[in-house]
Amino acid sequence: MNAVALHRSPWGRARDRLACVLIVLGITLPGTAVAQALNMINGDVTQKVALSDLRARSDTAFTLYDPFQGRDVVMRGVAFRTFLIDQFGEVPPALHFTAWDDYEVTLEGWDDPNWYLISTEDGDPLTIRSRGPVRLVERDYGDRDVENLREFNDWIWMIRSIEAKW
Amino acid sequence: MISKTKPAAKLLIQPRPLARQHRYITWLSLSLMSFLALMVLIVYESRWVYPEIQAYFSQTGNLTGQQLATRSRVYLQNTQSELLTDQPEQAAFDAAILNIELAYGLFDVHVYRQEYECAEPNLMILNRVLAQLELRELDRVAAVGELLEPIQCLTHIEMNQLDQRGAAINDFSGSTRQHNQVLTYSSLLIFVMGLVFWSLHERQLRRTDRATQETFEWMQRAMRDPLTGIGNRSALHQDVLAKQHQSLGLILVDIDFFKQYNDAYGHPQGDTLLRQLATLIGETLNDEAQLYRLGGDEFAALLRCSDTDTLKSYCRQLIEGIREANFAHPAHPDKKGVTFSVGGCRFVADEATFAYAYEAADKALYRVKTAGRDGWQVTEDA
Repeated sequence: MNAVALHRSPWGRARDRLACVLIVLGITLPGTAVAQALNMINGDVTQKVALSDLRARSDTAFTLYDPFQGRDVVMRGVAFRTFLIDQFGEVPPALHFTAWDDYEVTLEGWDDPNWYLISTEDGDPLTIRSRGPVRLVERDYGDRDVENLREFNDWIWMIRSIEAKW
Repeated sequence: MISKTKPAAKLLIQPRPLARQHRYITWLSLSLMSFLALMVLIVYESRWVYPEIQAYFSQTGNLTGQQLATRSRVYLQNTQSELLTDQPEQAAFDAAILNIELAYGLFDVHVYRQEYECAEPNLMILNRVLAQLELRELDRVAAVGELLEPIQCLTHIEMNQLDQRGAAINDFSGSTRQHNQVLTYSSLLIFVMGLVFWSLHERQLRRTDRATQETFEWMQRAMRDPLTGIGNRSALHQDVLAKQHQSLGLILVDIDFFKQYNDAYGHPQGDTLLRQLATLIGETLNDEAQLYRLGGDEFAALLRCSDTDTLKSYCRQLIEGIREANFAHPAHPDKKGVTFSVGGCRFVADEATFAYAYEAADKALYRVKTAGRDGWQVTEDA
């Protein structure tokens, strides 16, 4: 359990428990969507953050040209740096991501307010089909060429788990 | 015969003209700037090439490292495998739905929709198949068949994207070759320019050294009496200044009736006598004195001297020495050989005291001359 979780309010803990029940139900119920939670791993401790909870916490909305969709999209999410501090107590030096398509990568340099963990797009929750359920994007990508998708290699889709690497 | 200071010596010891100094600095800085430019060029080219190589050849592990179309196709083929394997229908459908959703997410990319006609209709097919599978309106074999067309489209996209990547790599290769040539030739050019500037700088240095050497030689010559090779009046003054606070003896030696000697023997013989007398004075003073020719027939000797008795001893030796040498002087009014009138003075070297010392020695000399010449006098400490 990380330091932030220890300081959660009773209401927050009850909400987490409810989310866990929903996740278990989601996994056991046939035909329901598989992506219901984001796994936050810190050493031996894995905390499941319900996507509904994450969406409720998403307090920032912005319009961004998504080079993969070729259009402006209204994205809603949380500042990733703040989210990491909430989850791990501080920003870890590196993070290991595992995506639903089994893509895995370890990246450093997340103490950067430019990154957002988004869970809603144009008012709709992200799904695997829309490269969700959560996705990491840069709110300001400067003057990078939107026609060159290689420039956006760091955007991480379909995130299933985030593991802190200390 | 009077030795005059050459005006050229004064000109040579002046600082080099500003224009020459400026040129000297310019060659060196141009040379250094050339080598710096070479470094900048190399660093710039390296920085240009490295990101390009990263972009084209170091894609493994990144989002677009493997084509999205390839990954999408693989998920569709996985879907077919899941549907055709001998497993419970529920598990097969769940696995198929997840795989098709993943395939859809990787397929639904703007660039594919924009560049490939087959993309839009096949995404619609996938949407339809997903809906039918969720409602169990499609059997497993039919679903496998429905996925063939999207797989074909994705394969087409893959091949085309590979061709595009190949073309891009070819372009990059050509551009790298061109940059390589530019780098090679410009490096060579800048390097040669650097060498040329450096050699000009070296030449300038050698010229400066030579000019300094010449100046030094001129200064040396300006301090020498060209006839006898001993110092002149300027050298005497300079040497006194160089021996500040030392106890010195100054001896002035005047050749008696030298004009008559010249008149009798002629000036060339007079010059020979001057050279001989310079040697004689040096030897008589045991080479401990520095000798100077102050004018036509006047010599000076400067030597370390701690007391007046020593100075008197030197003066005496000079008179005895010239008598012993017995140089013939047919025009000497007293029917003697060549004789000296010698005046001396002891002083502590200083710019101010030297003038007094010179005056005191000259007064002593004058006393000798008025007393009939061929003798010596010393003025007590100046």
